[in-house]
Amino acid sequence: MSLRREAERCVANQHSLRLNAFVTPLPRAGQWLDRVKEADRRREQGNPRSFIDGRLISIKDNICTRDLPTTCASEILDKFSSPFNATVVEQLEAAGAVIAGKTNLDEFGMGSHSVHSRFGPVKNVRQNGDGQDVSAGGSSGGSAVAVAADQCYAALGTDTGGSVRLPAAYTGTVGFKPSYGLISRWGVVTYANSLDTVGVLGRKVSTARHVFGLVNQHDARDPTSLSPFSRSRIMSHLQTPRLASRLSSTPLRIGVPVEYNISELTPSVRRAWLLSLAHLQDQGHTIHPVSLPATKHALSAYYVLAPAEASSNLSKYDGVRYGTRADGPDSDSQPEGYLYANTRGSGFGSEVKRRILLGTFSLSADAIDNYFIQAQRVRRLVQQDFNAVFIAKHPLAAADAQDTGRRAQQADVDVLVCPTAPSAPPRLSDFTRPAAESSPLDAYVNDVFTVPASLAGLPAISVPVTVDGSSQDPDVAGIQVVGQYGDDDLVMSVGELLEGRRLE
Amino acid sequence: MLRPLARGAVRSLCSQCRRIAPIHHDNHPRIPLRHLQTSTSPDRVPLRKQLKQDAKALKAQKRQRKESEEASRQEWELTVGVEIHAQLDTAAKLFSRAPTSSTDAPNSNVALFDLAFPGSQPEFQAATLLPALRAAIALHCQIQPVSRFDRKHYFYQDQPAGYQITQYYEPFARHGYVDLFDYDGIAPEDGDRVRVDIKQVQLEQDTAKSQEYPPSTQLLDFNRVSHPLIEVISMPQIHSPATAAACVRKLQSILQACGAVTTGMELGGLRVDVNVSVRRRDEAPGQHAYDGIEGLGQRTEIKNLSSFKAVEDAIVAEKNRQIALLESGGVVEGETRGWTIGSTETRKLRGKEGAVDYRYMPDPDIPPLIIGEDLIAHLEQALPSSPDALVAMLVGPEYGLPIEDAKPLIELDDGARLEYYQDVVDILRPLQADQDDKKVARVAGNWVLHELGGLLTKTDRAWDAAIVPAQALAHIVDQLQRKRITGPTAKQVLAAVFDGDRRPVPQLLEEDNLLLRPLSREEYVALAQAALALNPGMVEQIRTKNQLGKLGWFVGQMMRAGEKGRVEAPKAEEILRELILDEP
Repeated sequence: MSLRREAERCVANQHSLRLNAFVTPLPRAGQWLDRVKEADRRREQGNPRSFIDGRLISIKDNICTRDLPTTCASEILDKFSSPFNATVVEQLEAAGAVIAGKTNLDEFGMGSHSVHSRFGPVKNVRQNGDGQDVSAGGSSGGSAVAVAADQCYAALGTDTGGSVRLPAAYTGTVGFKPSYGLISRWGVVTYANSLDTVGVLGRKVSTARHVFGLVNQHDARDPTSLSPFSRSRIMSHLQTPRLASRLSSTPLRIGVPVEYNISELTPSVRRAWLLSLAHLQDQGHTIHPVSLPATKHALSAYYVLAPAEASSNLSKYDGVRYGTRADGPDSDSQPEGYLYANTRGSGFGSEVKRRILLGTFSLSADAIDNYFIQAQRVRRLVQQDFNAVFIAKHPLAAADAQDTGRRAQQADVDVLVCPTAPSAPPRLSDFTRPAAESSPLDAYVNDVFTVPASLAGLPAISVPVTVDGSSQDPDVAGIQVVGQYGDDDLVMSVGELLEGRRLE
Repeated sequence: MLRPLARGAVRSLCSQCRRIAPIHHDNHPRIPLRHLQTSTSPDRVPLRKQLKQDAKALKAQKRQRKESEEASRQEWELTVGVEIHAQLDTAAKLFSRAPTSSTDAPNSNVALFDLAFPGSQPEFQAATLLPALRAAIALHCQIQPVSRFDRKHYFYQDQPAGYQITQYYEPFARHGYVDLFDYDGIAPEDGDRVRVDIKQVQLEQDTAKSQEYPPSTQLLDFNRVSHPLIEVISMPQIHSPATAAACVRKLQSILQACGAVTTGMELGGLRVDVNVSVRRRDEAPGQHAYDGIEGLGQRTEIKNLSSFKAVEDAIVAEKNRQIALLESGGVVEGETRGWTIGSTETRKLRGKEGAVDYRYMPDPDIPPLIIGEDLIAHLEQALPSSPDALVAMLVGPEYGLPIEDAKPLIELDDGARLEYYQDVVDILRPLQADQDDKKVARVAGNWVLHELGGLLTKTDRAWDAAIVPAQALAHIVDQLQRKRITGPTAKQVLAAVFDGDRRPVPQLLEEDNLLLRPLSREEYVALAQAALALNPGMVEQIRTKNQLGKLGWFVGQMMRAGEKGRVEAPKAEEILRELILDEP
């Protein structure tokens, strides 16, 4: 099929399917068509710019694009257009990709179900057994649904605590969050700087691998981008014989974190997990239980740290230099009133306000020691937990910080395999019916398996696995593979062993 | 209903908001309208008498104030710490490549990050570290091998990100000191030297400039946003208002001398906060401890003082307020206060309950600052002389200047005047090589400061070394010292050069016939006799009553009668004495 037909089909899907995956879709006809035609010509001549030359890639609407608005699904950036392209957008366009529009999300990336959007909730392509609409997952729900519904070839999302992996699991797509610092964050609107990671969504792992390969570059404009020097250190570290032989000549040691076997795990997800492990074992890999004791505090630590950074990052939205400004005098007309109390009050949605308040509290003088500092300690413990179970050492950790006391007791493993989410996607109506509004804590629980890798900055992928049930339709669940920092390739390769498997 | 605004625009804002931001206020003191006094009082006092009375009253008032200040000093101990914020002399901003120039059109020097655009990130400009390090070295600080940047949060429209990036938890320099000497203007009770410890020096961002046009307009200029600043925090070790002002003045001169800053307080390049507490000397130590110094009273902070005088006046006023409060049984509250120039009392800005919680958080985007010892060693070695070293040099045997001349030479025009003075002396010395005059450097000092300075003041011109080239001034002084021109001629020539005469001084003297052609003894005698004939009575008075002061009148007459520039006053007087008093 020509690139043009493929692109036209995607754009047609963008306009025909009522999934609300896009904030800004591509117009049916436009300049994009010429660019796809040019790519078709290049392909016919046998010199395409890249694997994605002429393919449509959707961009989550918290990544800046010069030609399309960047709203972050927030009222406060309702009509905002960025004066510059994010580095990732530049990189994709340089490789010939066509930006397939801007996808819907939870406001500023804060949410797990893509329902906290100024443009309304994203609808999953799938429905539950009772034919009800279900959550697309969040916050990159729009990107995941756009991929699942064939509205684009692949999509970029952002993953702060699981925002790429969770929607991938709920929509049956592949969601890859690379190691922190590999993909440039210049032009990615910050939610929580120390956790925000650009991720890739695709229908297959190979797609994610191709797109990742194009954006995995150092960027001097992002101070958290890994330097060329560190990158080459990691490369040579991975080329040591012990690490290079994994999967190619030696079978893998696969870790199963015992702490992840929680009571909230639904039977179908537990079954998918067990069958996935059995499948890997059948292929000659070995399974080893491992302990990550700090896991039980990881979720709480995440929900202290991410809102703390968010409260700081979102201080800039005041409607003064850009963005939406409330009408009329924008203060309580007290002499000491703030110039933009109304703007911020009406511009932010409820979940964003909740996290700003949470973060403002946990950074305040009386609370910072018990919350922010304590959560940073937990974060360090989570990192140490991972370092203690992986055979590969953390390539960036100081040499003396490697061998902590617990290490000796652990079974050394190459990757960890666990569910992405504890359950199948919940009903959308649980979040959207005002009367039935579920507690925000319920939504936070969905991040329990994804947050630890985020806190440690590790590469993690969610791949769809199909489990044939006895009576009902087959269940699709997301299985997550987590690896040591820099082991992005290995993580994707293990994902490929599992993706699309029908297991029984 | 929300109204969207065009992207990227910086606009004026409508509000009646008053500034609450804790630092970096631009003072726009409102000048009160003066009304001409047209009515005259019924019982008219002669103007002369009136002026005399006023001066007397003022003197008495000052004496009384001095006495009461001294009395309260005996009873109360004042403790002051200062914090200064100084704009570093750098080409780029702290976290963007935008230029720092403050003279460009408003909002022309701003990068995306300076305006806190979504998705933009900081890019630390390593060159901004150099002046900061020079400052820390000049203040004898220990440079920290690792320091970090933190966010200090508060909402104000001059702060685009909603936070200022500063170094709160781990500043780049700690534990320095500044020495204050008697010639720095410290209080007499502090003796001839006081050392004030520097707690820390930190790097931070400046804010935007905001101009208020009440009731409803605010204009914002983001050119200044993220201009690199250093904040220097002293220990609370100062015990008099004069010494506090001297400390700020000294800090400014050190920062300028080491090349860390270019603009001083008068141009807004340096802003000061002070903290003030008092305690009774004869009572048990106070309950409060600040920066490890215990036994102090409750302190208050006075923000944003913009002149040396304001520092001193505000501390006096705040000290007296606290003392009066405590003497009447009250309690000092830990609060933030403000000071308006020309005022007599500080005013409350916000109390303890209104204190801003800055929610200091390590900036997650900015890596730690790692400073190598090799860099510090290089900068230490290349550091220009400190003001104290300069004073020692100028009052020492090389120049032999009085301290009253050495100080202004160092302080004027950001060191440019001193550089000019040294140029003049360097040119002068070889010219004077054949002369045995040790005072030549001193005379040159006088001409650079007072004669040239006087012309600048009279014409209200700013300093520029090119107005009178050093070469020209050196030649004038040389000719004067060689007695080839008279003092009045030297001044006349200086004025000509000052007004743009660019002929070399020797040529100018030649062409304008200004070189002294000494009169003969006969010519002097003739001039003197003509003068004496004008007033025989006065001659008699000088002779009989020995009223030698009246000789000057005759000297003046001789100068007037003689050819311009040729009559030398000392010689004229010599002849007069001879004729009137028969002195040999």
